[in-house]
This record gives sequence, structure tokens and C-alpha cells, in this order.
Amino acid sequence: MFVGPRMKRDLVTVTPGATLEEAARLLTAHRIHHLPVVEEGNRLAGIVSDTDLRNATLDGMFGGADRGDSGRPVTVGEIMTREMVTLTPGDTLDDAMLVLTRRRIGALPVVEGERIVGIVTKADILSALLSTLDIEGLGVRIEVVLRRDAREVARLLAALADLDVEVRSLVLSPHGTDGYAAFVRVATIDVASVRGRLRVKGFAVGELSDFYEA
Amino acid sequence: MAEDGTRTEAGGGGGPLPERDILEGFDRLIAADRLFGADLDSSNLKKSGKGTPFLVRRHPSHHRMLAHWRELFANRVTPQGLLDALAPEVLGLVHGDGLLLFGKERVLYDCQIVRGQEAVGHLTLSFYREREPVFRFLPFPRRPGRRIVYIEGISLSSQSTGYASSLFRHYERLFHGLGFHRFRLKASLSVGKYYWAKEGFDCEDRVQFREMREKLLALVRNLGLPVEEQEVRRLNHASMVATFRRDLQVPVYRNEDGYYATARDARHSEEFRFPLGKAFLLCADPWDGYKVIYTDTPRRTGLVWSEGYLDHESRPGHPESPKRLEALENAIREEGMRESLIFLEPYIPAMESLHAVHDPAYLEAFRQAVARGDRHFAVRDCAISEGSYEAALLAAGGVMAGIDAVLSDRADNAFCAVRPPGHHAGRSSAMGFCFVNNVAAGALYARSAYGVERIYILDWDVHHGNGTQALFDEDPLTFFCSLHEHPSFCYPGTGRRLEKGRGAGLGATLNVPLSPHAGDRELLEAFEREVVPSIEAFRPGLILLSAGFDAHRDDPIAGLECTEAAYVHMTRRILELADRHCEGRVVSVLEGGYRTESLVSSAIAHIKTLQGREGSPCSSARG
Repeated sequence: MFVGPRMKRDLVTVTPGATLEEAARLLTAHRIHHLPVVEEGNRLAGIVSDTDLRNATLDGMFGGADRGDSGRPVTVGEIMTREMVTLTPGDTLDDAMLVLTRRRIGALPVVEGERIVGIVTKADILSALLSTLDIEGLGVRIEVVLRRDAREVARLLAALADLDVEVRSLVLSPHGTDGYAAFVRVATIDVASVRGRLRVKGFAVGELSDFYEA
Repeated sequence: MAEDGTRTEAGGGGGPLPERDILEGFDRLIAADRLFGADLDSSNLKKSGKGTPFLVRRHPSHHRMLAHWRELFANRVTPQGLLDALAPEVLGLVHGDGLLLFGKERVLYDCQIVRGQEAVGHLTLSFYREREPVFRFLPFPRRPGRRIVYIEGISLSSQSTGYASSLFRHYERLFHGLGFHRFRLKASLSVGKYYWAKEGFDCEDRVQFREMREKLLALVRNLGLPVEEQEVRRLNHASMVATFRRDLQVPVYRNEDGYYATARDARHSEEFRFPLGKAFLLCADPWDGYKVIYTDTPRRTGLVWSEGYLDHESRPGHPESPKRLEALENAIREEGMRESLIFLEPYIPAMESLHAVHDPAYLEAFRQAVARGDRHFAVRDCAISEGSYEAALLAAGGVMAGIDAVLSDRADNAFCAVRPPGHHAGRSSAMGFCFVNNVAAGALYARSAYGVERIYILDWDVHHGNGTQALFDEDPLTFFCSLHEHPSFCYPGTGRRLEKGRGAGLGATLNVPLSPHAGDRELLEAFEREVVPSIEAFRPGLILLSAGFDAHRDDPIAGLECTEAAYVHMTRRILELADRHCEGRVVSVLEGGYRTESLVSSAIAHIKTLQGREGSPCSSARG
């Protein structure tokens, strides 16, 4: 999965000369947390977040900083982050997830050359995850523990096909040292009989609630 | 009042009187020539007027009379006490020559109705026990029969406005106290055919009622009245016929004996104009009527049920099977509840009323799938058979019939034992065994037909009622609340706390998901903490329940572990809230429940609680 199709393209941006107040208004009006700072030709100059704005305001209040002449409003260009990590549309969502997690930041500008073309935020990643896992899909998840062997996965799929039950999604994760946990979302209300019949076929079907206690 | 009549008023709530008192009472009445052995003479009755209508017999033995008394009156009243209670002074009229007659199978009461010195009428009642008729396909159990008051005849030579009504009110209270189950009569005299329907009597025989409805339809067509066929088909109680379309005046013609006909002829010449329903009944054929006396139950609870619900068959091994309702119906009989429930007949609703809920194209696709002989519709869960389409419409019509009864005050509340269930069905989607959203159709019907503005729907099926929620998502006047197993663990995967309604309906949806293995304590805590205050705040005009019983610990379909006690507690609290906000109006609709034993025991406990019966398990359920 590439960044291109998932990134947000209609951007809200500011120029380096905008005041902090103007920037704050934009954040509130659009209910967002990050503003790419652009110069002519959509050239990305930096990024400013609501945290940056808050810190700058606090600095001003407590006199910790002496930026500019007194009386002149501070501009975005003065407080923005210039050293940023950026992505290109050809990077993957895996890249984005790793950078966001390791650097503990909230948003990544996406550039083609020097020009900004989009932005990827943590919220975009979460919604990609939601649809990948089909969290909102109708149905119910069952959990099957398998030996780490592709033939076991094939056997599970064959069993589901025999049951004539619609599989909405299937996630296979490592489980313990030599197993898989298969999370299967099936679109049937009668999940009890699906579980029962899988057990009859020798599968280790856990109650999801087993995980609740752990 | 005689010394032996002191404990007579409406049974008095005391226990049975000593048999010595009853026997002394017989002897006193015999000495006073007010007690005979006699039975009705059917050959003489038909002629009416000539000679005595009774075949007088010798007095039965004291032993026989006492056996009768015990069986009919449970010795709650003395013979003199009964005579006194049967003869109140009403609107200046009293009873004269009141007699008790002991027949083979019954006891009769016969008297003159007297104003001053003049006899102005005649009244005959009989009391007997009726063996329960064989009910459809189910085996006949040996049970003591219902206690019946048969109104053999009441006639007044001059019309005395309100006398029969007032006397009947008195009798309803009296026989309630004496533990009788129903009044019966033959509505045959001219006014009686209309009057008794207006008093709340219904046809004992459903075939007779359907004929009555067909004849009304024929009359409507004959006269070219602006009445939809659907309006007539919706009628399912004689009292609804009596008050039907009061806005339309219809001519009728009376003969010298006071009988009416819809067409003028040589004998029926005097023209009158009456509202449609009244005019029709005045001219109708005689019919056999009954009215239930709500012995032992503080609330009048209606039960919607039809054999038509068994016509929706699923495949073998499918959890949503006709056996669910067969077992419930059987249990209602075995629990002896038939005497105290008002049986309500569902009907096929007008398609327009269903189009308020479902896309017409969706319903048509469903109809066609059934007509084609498909084995399931939309998804494999939704198995269908030949009768599925009609059964699904009848299920929605069942909720409407329940709403009709409750909102026209023929019942205080109602339980609709319908299937297929409905709460997963959306505007254009069948899923989770559901095709037509019964409770949603009922809510919109209550609003359009009865003008109920604020409706609270509580769904305690173990699965989230996603269909109902989606239909009322943006409706601020229909509050949807669902208690269910958490969507991360349970079908259909919706019903998270953050789903609170949309747009104008924001805040009128409340989802209370419960963790797997939650039991009565967790359920009732959430119910008291969240559901109850939301009802208080919403102030509904009607409460509808999507009552699934699959959160029971014995039900295999999902992971909650509740018991009957939780259903009893919630039902009781809902009734309290309904009393406070909407005159007790609750219509409960069956949804899921797939283990027959727990479905039946839970539903029976729920229905008994709707009836206001005490002694159901509840005390430990407060949490």
C-alpha cells in the first residue's frame, strides 16, 4: 500500500509571513493539528503544529524568548520546524507508520521534489487500518490458533469454504513461537455453529473473550 | 344485608367460606322458594315470551349443589350473598323475583327488572365451566376449564339509557372478584349486535369474525363508500368494527320488531342514518361474543400470535426455526395463561405502511425470491421457504395489531410472539434472520395512525439492533437504546458507545455494549445506570421492546450469561416507567432466542410480568 492513494490532497497551508494568530485560526477552523508552510510555487518551507504554536505563545508570555522587536507580531516563519521528515507518494504506508511511531510525530508532508502534494497524518493511518481489518464490516470475528504451516492455513480456508460462510476478512498473525493466530471475520449471526463445526474438524477455536482476562 | 352475606362484595379477598354456611344458605333459599333445580328449556327459549323458559326439576342433592358451588364460586360467596350482589339498584331499576336454578352443568340466575311496581325487563345469566377447546395442532391437556358467565338474555321493554352498561360494569367487577374468566353471550337482538361489540365483546369464533369483515367490505363496496379495503382488513376486534369510520353516515331501515336491514323492503321501511360501523352491526347476523375478565392479573396483556408465523421455514439445523414459537405457544397453554391473555390476531399491513420502513424495490425483490423458490434471500443466514414473504409481512402486522390494541385501550400492554424477527433488517437489507423490521414498522405505524409523537425503543436482544438503529439514526423523536454483547465479540459488529445518532437525531441513540460473559448483575447495573435515566429524560408516549431472549446463559448463539430474573426485572421497571410517562403503554416484540427451553422460560416470565403477576423471580436481581 502506497502513500499516494491514502494521503490527503486538499491541503490547508500558511505562508512563512503569517502571524501565529492567523495560523491558530486556520487550525481551529479546519479542526486539524498541522499546517505545512509553503512559499511561492507550493515549495515546502517547513511545518507548524498546534504544539509549536502553544509553545511559542507560552514562551512569549513568560518572556523566555526574545524574538523580534517588542510590539511586532511573531510570524510562522520564525517558529516553524524546518528540519522535517517527508515522504513521497511512492513510499509505502509501512514507511509512514514506522516514521510516525519512531519519531513520535503526528503528520508527514508528502513532496514531489520541493513541491508539497499531500500530507499523511496518524488519523489517515488509523482509518487505513480500520478498513484493512474491516472493523466496521458486519459480521463477527472468530480466532483460530494454527500450527505455523501454510498447509494448516489452507485447511482452515477449505473448512470455511465447506461451511458456505461468507469470509469478510482474514488476518494472520504470528502466535507464540511456532503458531499463527488467524482472525477471521465471518458474516453470519450463527457464529456459534461455525465455531462448533470448526472444532469438530480439529481446529483450536478460541473465544475472543479469552483474551480479555489476559 | 343478611347475616350470611357479609363477605360477599366481589369475593372480598378472603378465603373460602365454611361449607356449613353455604349449606345453610341453600336451605334458606329453598324455604323462601328462591332456589330450584332447573335447566334452560331450549325449545321454549326460541319462541321467547310464551311459557317458562325453564324445565323445573327436583332439587339436586346438597352434595351436588355444594360441588357446583365449589367448582363455580370456590365458596367465596354464600347463595344469598350472590343473589344480593347480582341485584344492585342501578339508575332506579332493581331486580325482582331473583332465583337461583341448579341445572345439570350450570347454575342459572333469573330475574325481572323492575321499576317501582312495574316489570320492565328480564335478565337471565348462567354460570358454568368450559373445557378448553382443542387448540389447533397441539395435544389436549387435562385442565380445569374456564369459569364462564353466559348472558343468556337481557331485555328491557322500554329503552333505559345506560342501564345495561352500568349493570355490566358492576358485573365486570363482581365476577373479577369471584374469579371468573370470561363473559360470553350471543349477540342477536337488534341493538345487542352493536351494543356488545361497543362494550368490548369480540367474536369467539375467528371464522365468524372474518365473515363479518367480509360482509362489511361487501357493504362498503355496495354503497360505494370512500373506504380502503386495507382499512377493513386491519380490523381485528368486534369493538373496532363498532367504532369504524364514525365520519361516514349510512342509511339503515328498521322493521316493527326493532330489527334493522341495510336495504329498504316491505317490512324494513323506517329509515335511520348511523355511522358506518354501528349501522353495519345493527344489520349484522347474530354472533357469539366473549369478553375476558382479567382474573388474577392486574394488567390486561394482549398476545399476538398466528399459525401464519410457522409458515416461514428455514433449513434443517437453522437456529431460527418454527419450533421456537410452537414451544412458546405450548407453554402458554400449559402455564394456564390462555384464560388471562387477550388474543390478538395479526394482519397483513398496507404496503404503504411498510414502505415507510423499507425500499419498495427491496420488498419486491424479497417477494420474488420467495416466489422463485430460492432457498435464502440476500445472505445465507436468511433462509426462506414458500411462506416466508407472507409470514414476514404478518410479523410486522402483528406489531401493528399489538399497537392497535394498546393504543385503543383494549389492552394495557402486549407481547407480539412473531417471527421472522426484524431488528437487523435495514431499509434495503436482510440479514441475521431478519427481513422486515417489525418494531420499526410498528413505531412508524403508532406515529401515523395514532399520532404518538415520542417513541422509545429498547432492544435487549443479545445482538445489536443495527437495522432499527439505522432507520431512526436521524430521528430525534424515536429514541433507540440497545443492550447487547460488545461488537468486537458479537454479531453484527455494530453498536459501539460512540454511535449516538446523527444530525437531528444526535443523542437519541444509546448503545450499551456488555463484555462477553456478563450476567444479570452487569446487565442490570447498566440498565439502571443508563437505560432508566434515558427513559426518564426522554418522556416517551409509547415504549416498544425488541425483546430477544438470547442473552440467556443457556443460549448458544452469543456470550452473555443472563437469566430469567434479568428479564423480569427489566420488564417490571419498564412497566413502572411506562406508568409514569405513557399510561403503561408497552408493546413488546419477540426478536431472537434460539435455545427453546430458555426462550420459553424467559418469554413466559416476561409475559407474566407484563400481566403484573407477582412472585416471578426478581428480588435478587437488583445487583
